[in-house]
Amino acid sequence: MPSVAVEPAAAFTVPVPRGRGRQDWRSALFVAPYLLVFVAMLVVPLAMGMWLSTTKGDLFGTERWVGLANFVRLFGDAIFLKAVANTFYFVLLTVPFLTLAGLGLALVLNRQERWAAVLRTIFFASTVLSVTVVTLVWRLVFLPDGGLLGVTAEALGKTPIAFLNDERLAMPAIAVTTIWWCIGLPMVLFLAALQQVPRDLYEAAALDNASRWTTLTRITLPAIKRTFFLVIIIEVILQFQLFGQPQLMTLGGPNNSTRPIVLFIYEAGWRQWELGYAAAAAQVLFAMILIAAMVQYRLSSGKEAA
Amino acid sequence: MAGVQLAEVGKAYGAVTVIERLSLDIPAGEFMVFLGPSGCGKSTLLRMIAGLETIDGGTIRIGERRVDTLPPGERGVAMVFQHYALYPHLSVRENMAFGLRNLRVPAAEIAARIAAAAASLEIEALLERKPGQLSGGQRQRVAIARAIVKQPELFLLDEPLSNLDAALRVRTRLELAQLHRRLGTTMIFVTHDQVEAMTLADRIVVLNAGGIEQVGTPMEIYLRPRTQFVATFVGSPRINLLPVAIEEGPAGSARARLGDGTMLDTAIRFAGLPQGAMTLGLRAETVCVTAGDDAATHGTAEVVERLGERTLVHTLLSDGSRLVAEDAGVSAVRPGDRIGLTIDAAAAHLFDATGLGHHRAETA
Amino acid sequence: MTRSRLATGLVILAAVLMLVPLLWVLALSLKDNAELMTDTASVFNGRFTLENYRNLFGNGDVFRWIANSLIVSFGMTAGVLMLASLAGYGFARLEFPGRNLLFVVVLLGLAVPEQAVIIARHQMFSWLGMHNSYPALILPGLSAPFGVFLMTQYFRAIPRDIDEAALLDGASRFTIFWKLLLPLTIPAQATLGIFTFLSAWNDYWWPLISATNKDMFTLTVGIASTQMNFAQTEGLGFLMAQAVFAGAPMLIVYLFFQKYIVQAVAGAAGR
Repeated sequence: MPSVAVEPAAAFTVPVPRGRGRQDWRSALFVAPYLLVFVAMLVVPLAMGMWLSTTKGDLFGTERWVGLANFVRLFGDAIFLKAVANTFYFVLLTVPFLTLAGLGLALVLNRQERWAAVLRTIFFASTVLSVTVVTLVWRLVFLPDGGLLGVTAEALGKTPIAFLNDERLAMPAIAVTTIWWCIGLPMVLFLAALQQVPRDLYEAAALDNASRWTTLTRITLPAIKRTFFLVIIIEVILQFQLFGQPQLMTLGGPNNSTRPIVLFIYEAGWRQWELGYAAAAAQVLFAMILIAAMVQYRLSSGKEAA
Repeated sequence: MAGVQLAEVGKAYGAVTVIERLSLDIPAGEFMVFLGPSGCGKSTLLRMIAGLETIDGGTIRIGERRVDTLPPGERGVAMVFQHYALYPHLSVRENMAFGLRNLRVPAAEIAARIAAAAASLEIEALLERKPGQLSGGQRQRVAIARAIVKQPELFLLDEPLSNLDAALRVRTRLELAQLHRRLGTTMIFVTHDQVEAMTLADRIVVLNAGGIEQVGTPMEIYLRPRTQFVATFVGSPRINLLPVAIEEGPAGSARARLGDGTMLDTAIRFAGLPQGAMTLGLRAETVCVTAGDDAATHGTAEVVERLGERTLVHTLLSDGSRLVAEDAGVSAVRPGDRIGLTIDAAAAHLFDATGLGHHRAETA
Repeated sequence: MTRSRLATGLVILAAVLMLVPLLWVLALSLKDNAELMTDTASVFNGRFTLENYRNLFGNGDVFRWIANSLIVSFGMTAGVLMLASLAGYGFARLEFPGRNLLFVVVLLGLAVPEQAVIIARHQMFSWLGMHNSYPALILPGLSAPFGVFLMTQYFRAIPRDIDEAALLDGASRFTIFWKLLLPLTIPAQATLGIFTFLSAWNDYWWPLISATNKDMFTLTVGIASTQMNFAQTEGLGFLMAQAVFAGAPMLIVYLFFQKYIVQAVAGAAGR
């Protein structure tokens, strides 16, 4: 067999050159601009906020390190505890309804016809409005003297109710406002999930003579289970951060009944100028949201694995 | 036009060696095919030549230049990718011009080169289209055209036919062979398809597990496989392998005894063969079904595959070993038939325990 | 069958309820202020006027606020797109020391809510004396890690073949980024751009505390400020005209770009 130049060339011992390195610090220039802003606007304030939460001082005075005193004070502060309770109450009022109504709307509106598209447009429209427009609109609905509900009540011969001035009704009124504002997001998330369900599953079910109810409970709902939990967590995180609606509609009243944690932070920081105290409350909220975010991360990374 | 020299080239990802200190000499103008199963390192080797993979050691030369320290764009090579890698948002014309602009080729010459390449590949009508508007075959031609306009010293082709349907693949194969003849440029073509390798190559490098099994012309690879791996990887149907005992036969040749007792006098010299059990390699075309009394052995037909121009008969021998034999296209054999087989023992190969092949003495 | 018809009926009813508050506000904005003072039910008597809108155009504040909102929203969108594209390419395609660790740190930033940083941020801008300026309104929004995350994912999804073909074509890293890959990320740029613009336009808390000078109000904060003096307002109709004027542009943009907006918002939430 004719020999070819394949056999390891034994005599060929050149100093081994290093391969052209791809690790290059100049490549980091692409990420540097963002990282600069990231550090200045997120990392530093976060660390500073944590440090602030262990200090006491005012806007002009020097901060003094007080350890965990702010946190101890928070958990003895009836208004803060009320704010925490209000926040949970609000989440309970809005999140289950937003999730179930969003799912319901998606199930009914997941079709090609024109009327369904029009209705989808209507339900998502309010999402693009800013909180100040939304609250302005709804104040003119809830206003006892000349508001839409007041006028309606008078037309029916009843006494108008001052929803936003009633301790029991103010929070539900804010919840209604929020649901009106936010219903679009859960709906489109569910719609996206429904469109991911493989069509041949429905064809197989039809061949198996499944009823519409069976198709819904055995195929559709199990297929979007993950989205269901995802929506719940996204909404919990969003609604936990309730701020603008009560700040603009009730200022937290009457009798603190609509003051959520974020409004508490805002008022501690920018009304009383107790920055350390406000920062401590912010850390508590951060911890709560972090727990929810961790659950969400688990769910969404699990989705990729599936 | 330039040859390629690899000397002691190696590559490892952490503890996993992908290419093991490998040397290879490709003369200028040769059509060289890297052939091997997936994961053998053939694509990695090609990408090392292109500069898309770093090398851990050794040197690569293209022509007189040492290129292993140069970035890919300065190596004077052009590559056709498996998935074509056309720039999706650029028109065909812009795809072809992109590399030339980076080389600061004058606009007039760019236009001339594109026109020439487009004419030779018959894609003039497609020049203003985007890759997304082309069929698979058209994209393939554009990818080749994009390589041609660069007038490289070396063409690298990474499984360029694997995404085409069967008919188009055969046609493009022919066109590639013509292209090589016309341009005369050195080409390195990576494939796992032995038919592509056999039909296109001046020489084939068979790779396995990061190392070279054999380098040779297609017929050398087929007729004198250096190892059992090469013998089984090249050839369809797969070469028959049977365990045999060896003794000295007439005129110093090796005589093999099959499991069913059949004696075969090979043309391989007995002297120089290692002692002990060996494996006999028989291509299907050297084992033929016979109705006469010239049969070397007998067996039972298990499966009969009719390919049209010939028939493959999977045969069970009396000792339980199996053998694929050939018969004419129009064959009367049916499964279950008892059949006789002739064996062209002179064409047989022997493989020793290390897998090394032994073949009949070279004939002038 | 009847069950599904019932569901459809309920959904249509709900859609009407969604629209009623908006129509109510629109109707009020078209009424004479004096008439509304006595009875808002007068909207049903059919006497409408454009006087409130005429007054609105005479009042420079709203236009000033809209201009501010436009500057801030476009500035933030442009900044986010630029920073996120560069960083996304860097994280997805280039190798440099500490890359993976840095990316994980940026991802962790996704979990940080605004409340955890806003107090210290406000302090920092106070020290720098930068409040009531466009940079103060824009800079914090540029730090959101979502864009980097999105663009990194998108760059990763582009086949590496393209880069390699370009390397063989002698293109530099920046040419590959600018001429070949960036045009392929346009869908992601649209998603990120719309999402950023919408968030910036509707942002409330940061502009509320940073822009305390009436001339630097964004539209959101401006509308809030007129709302605060609800009692002493120049008239209900005028207030409602402001609400319509603030909300309508967004709704119109939404009607035109609905598909992209919905995709952007859903994509951002479903990360």
